[in-house]
Amino acid sequence: MTSSKHHAEDKFVALASIAAELNSVMAVAWGVSLAAKNAKVISAQSGDKGLGFQPITEFIDEIAQQAMQGVQDINNEALHLTKIAVAEQRSVDAFRRFDSVRNKNDKARYIGSMSIAMQRVEQHMLESTQAMKKSLRNLNALLESMDECMLSARAIASVSRIVTSNAQEYRDKLALVADDLDKATVFIKEKLSDSYQHLKNVDMRSSR
Amino acid sequence: MKATKLFDQGHQWIMFGRDPDKPQGIIDTNQYMVLAGNRALLMDPGGIEVFAPMLGAILHHAKVEQITDLFASHQDPDIISSLGLWDQALPHAKLHAPWIWEGFLRHFGMNNIQYAPIPDEGSRVSIGPVDLEFIPAHYLHASGNFHVYDPKAKILMSGDVGAALESTESPLFVDGFEEHIPKMKMFHQRWMPSNRAKNDWIKRVRQLDIEYMAPQHGRIFKGDDVKRFLDWFEQLDVGVAIQAEK
Ligand SMILES: [Fe+2]
Ligand SMILES: [Fe+2]
Repeated sequence: MTSSKHHAEDKFVALASIAAELNSVMAVAWGVSLAAKNAKVISAQSGDKGLGFQPITEFIDEIAQQAMQGVQDINNEALHLTKIAVAEQRSVDAFRRFDSVRNKNDKARYIGSMSIAMQRVEQHMLESTQAMKKSLRNLNALLESMDECMLSARAIASVSRIVTSNAQEYRDKLALVADDLDKATVFIKEKLSDSYQHLKNVDMRSSR
Repeated sequence: MKATKLFDQGHQWIMFGRDPDKPQGIIDTNQYMVLAGNRALLMDPGGIEVFAPMLGAILHHAKVEQITDLFASHQDPDIISSLGLWDQALPHAKLHAPWIWEGFLRHFGMNNIQYAPIPDEGSRVSIGPVDLEFIPAHYLHASGNFHVYDPKAKILMSGDVGAALESTESPLFVDGFEEHIPKMKMFHQRWMPSNRAKNDWIKRVRQLDIEYMAPQHGRIFKGDDVKRFLDWFEQLDVGVAIQAEK
């Protein structure tokens, strides 16, 4: 996505983009899980010769499930962060307008009565900024664990290629699963790297 | 933003408007405040862009914590899109507004202020020692719509009824009714949808003793000009966009 390179990206657009990038990951991970389940059936049909594949196909399925769960968690956190960001935006906007009232009306008889409202809004602003920072850290950690998940996926793809090459009859079909997994990993890693870019934009623009 | 006292006998009516610093492209609005003892009611407090100049102008007359009540005649952005900001400035205030708009007005962001729904037949509110009436003005122009009447000050805050589209330099009061007609004719023909609703409102308002009729845009009608307005409005055919299609 080119928008991730656009530095003026709004933080709300950035957050929505993370959710959008990762939604496509969901479909890919689902495809891998399906292929792994198929491979499991094939290896079961192959009797003794297929025994070696079963743990691998199980692993692949597990990785796919983890990726789907990861996407779910990231989406939830991004939604949570969006809500906090909206609240923060509102307090920042209110503070800015209250501040302009204070600056432009210093001669007003009751200008002092603004201070309680200003303190309250400032407090909200600080609280939501803190909450945003925390949520940003969580989101970052979730993306990192997806990254690790993809590292294991690549390792499993290479291992499964070695195993499949020793079993001629099912070689083609199982090699396809390994290819699928490889392609999915590359795709997901790309989406993750885009997401990191978007996240940076959220971080940059979260400060008032 | 300019502030003008319309009434000052025991309690006050203050009109805010004619802001020379108003951003271009937004319709000029009049905001009103009733100040009674240690309480104040803001009527049609205005849009987001009006919030800061409006609050700044209020602080020459009242403390923030004195503003205990807000009123929105209807749901339009020029009336009350500042709600999300008032909500943060006045978390303990009440908003009096037509019951039908509650779910809509909450879209402006209302986490603290209490919504006090006005029933279709209207109601009353006391601001300290002052009793005010919410007079039904449905379909003028919004499908749930009220005006505020103060029997003691003899002022009717009439929302969009009586509105005129004018510059921020125009005078506060109508000074020649005939010359004023062209400034308000199109507005009433186009924004007011129903002759039936219009006549129903005129009948109700003719029974009130009104010294000032104070609309949300344009100039205030004083004394005999109130009656002149009612007569003019009565003969005016409204809801013209439909006829234009024929
Ligand atoms: Fe309106
Ligand atoms: Fe209006």
